[in-house]
Amino acid sequence: MADKNPYRPIEAQVLDVIAETPTIRTVRFKTKEEVAFVTGQFIELTIPGVGEAPFTPSSRPSMREAMEVTVMKVGRVTEFIHKLKKGDIIGIRGPFGRGYPLDEFKGKEILVVGGGCGFAPLRSLMYTFFDMSGQFKKLFFRGGCRTPKELVYRNETDEWAKRKDLNFKLTVDNGDESWKGNVGLVTTILDDVEMDYKQGIGVVCGPPIMMKFAAKKLLEMGFKENNLYLSMEKNMSCGIGKCGHCRLGSYYACKDGPVFSYDKIKNFPNIWD
Amino acid sequence: MKKYISYKNLINLLNVLAQDYQVFVPTEAKNGRFYKKYSADCGKIVIGEVRAVEPLKSFFLPGRERVAEDFKPDLPQKDDRKPYAVVGVKACDLKGFKVQDYVFKDHDFEDPFYNKARQNNLIISADCTCCLESCFCIALNLKPYPQESFDINLSQVDAGFVVETGTQRGENIVKENFSLFEDAQDYMISERNQQREKVTGEIKANIKTQDIPQESLYQGIIGKNYQSVLWQDEAKACVECGACNTICPTCHCFLLYDQKDKGKMMRLRIWDSCMIKDFARVAGGANPRERLWMRLRNRFEKKFDYFPKVSGIYACTGCGRCIAACPAKIDIRKVLKRLVDGR
Repeated sequence: MADKNPYRPIEAQVLDVIAETPTIRTVRFKTKEEVAFVTGQFIELTIPGVGEAPFTPSSRPSMREAMEVTVMKVGRVTEFIHKLKKGDIIGIRGPFGRGYPLDEFKGKEILVVGGGCGFAPLRSLMYTFFDMSGQFKKLFFRGGCRTPKELVYRNETDEWAKRKDLNFKLTVDNGDESWKGNVGLVTTILDDVEMDYKQGIGVVCGPPIMMKFAAKKLLEMGFKENNLYLSMEKNMSCGIGKCGHCRLGSYYACKDGPVFSYDKIKNFPNIWD
Repeated sequence: MKKYISYKNLINLLNVLAQDYQVFVPTEAKNGRFYKKYSADCGKIVIGEVRAVEPLKSFFLPGRERVAEDFKPDLPQKDDRKPYAVVGVKACDLKGFKVQDYVFKDHDFEDPFYNKARQNNLIISADCTCCLESCFCIALNLKPYPQESFDINLSQVDAGFVVETGTQRGENIVKENFSLFEDAQDYMISERNQQREKVTGEIKANIKTQDIPQESLYQGIIGKNYQSVLWQDEAKACVECGACNTICPTCHCFLLYDQKDKGKMMRLRIWDSCMIKDFARVAGGANPRERLWMRLRNRFEKKFDYFPKVSGIYACTGCGRCIAACPAKIDIRKVLKRLVDGR
């Protein structure tokens, strides 16, 4: 490690850019050097000469020929990412941090709860679960979004809904004429999740406010604190616990997370802010 | 047997060291002591007195440093410069090393830039021969004279210095230049001890007059005051300049900053400040420390809660730089007193 430069990005080429919604795009790219990641880990994506920003890959980790990130346009770097075209050169650092402890999930019943931007990392997690199909007792996915227009990966989730090894349901806060599904917060579609909550694994990923209420709901349902996994969105930058930006109590989200079990962080003040 | 070196021979020693090192010495300026590269015309060298204005970290974690160029795998070819020999370093700054070394060198991932700068460097420390009104190192269980983390220490006496070595590297330098040193006489050692007692007394008087609590009382002070109004109160005058961070020998946070340089991508790291509003803000807009007082609280939490929890060190050296630097006169001594008293 000592002679390697952790701040240097690896060159990558954009293979494709998919417009998911007016503000969300998925960028597919191939790195010059192999970058293998565990689902839940994150990378820093560099726009050369502009800057970098952290993303959890949304692609299947077993897919070796390319990697994908799904990016919402919210700031300076993401604006540049939205302008990327096939063939453009970008940089990648990482993967950083710890992903989901998949070995601990084996043989268990799992409930995945996702909201809005949280769909990106969860897409990678779901494909990982599909790769491991048969190794879990039950698998539930409950996803929520503000409006149907903001729901990403619709073609793919339509396929997920047909899977035998997955119990899948979506909801939107505000429906429209095209929407036939549930209307309401994601916490309103958890009641038909039939599993032994006390032994089950809960995974929650989404914007802070959704995480807060979903985590609270899962704890009320009986999930154990150490079986409840949360993706903590912090301002990760260096990726190796040096730059100080993403501190969460005695941890750095970049190296100790971004996935934490609730028991590890529950005593830190203001974790949802 | 302790050694002694005359001022004249110390200059001779610096000339010898300059062949293998970039030698930096504290020099006198109107408003304090600043490190300058040693040369015949670098100005008046001040080995004793008190800490320099700039913190020691400036040498090992520079305020602005190139950390990547394009996609080149190797470290940016900065230079083949010689390692640093920093002279006249005070005990408070040596404690700063403990925090910086913990962050960049001694746990988890190693930072190649910090490590490269730290490797083979030479630290010639020195006793303080006086103190500033803002000095309170003794409250942090330090002494105004180095006890560890130096290669060679100089204690100013009469027209020269009592010399102590702290590492094999320091020992070797004394051996290799034996003709510049002589045996320290007993009276020199007593003079050194008297000097040390005098400065210790002065700082103790500072601590007493200003009622600064001792480190032994710091345990749990952040937790018990987390909801206190004192944070709003203390942050009232803050202008968010970040001087307390940049001047602090233990603050280590940095910003990775990209720019184009003649068509090449260049990544710099510059000192960052947790007092600045956007420090922890995420792109989605959420900011865990939206208010200034939350950021002030966070600064104290990092120093007096996070570091002792993870590394057993209170990340304050009692150097008083943040007191001197703050345009709003936010005083760490007063904040510590309020935290300990819980009011």
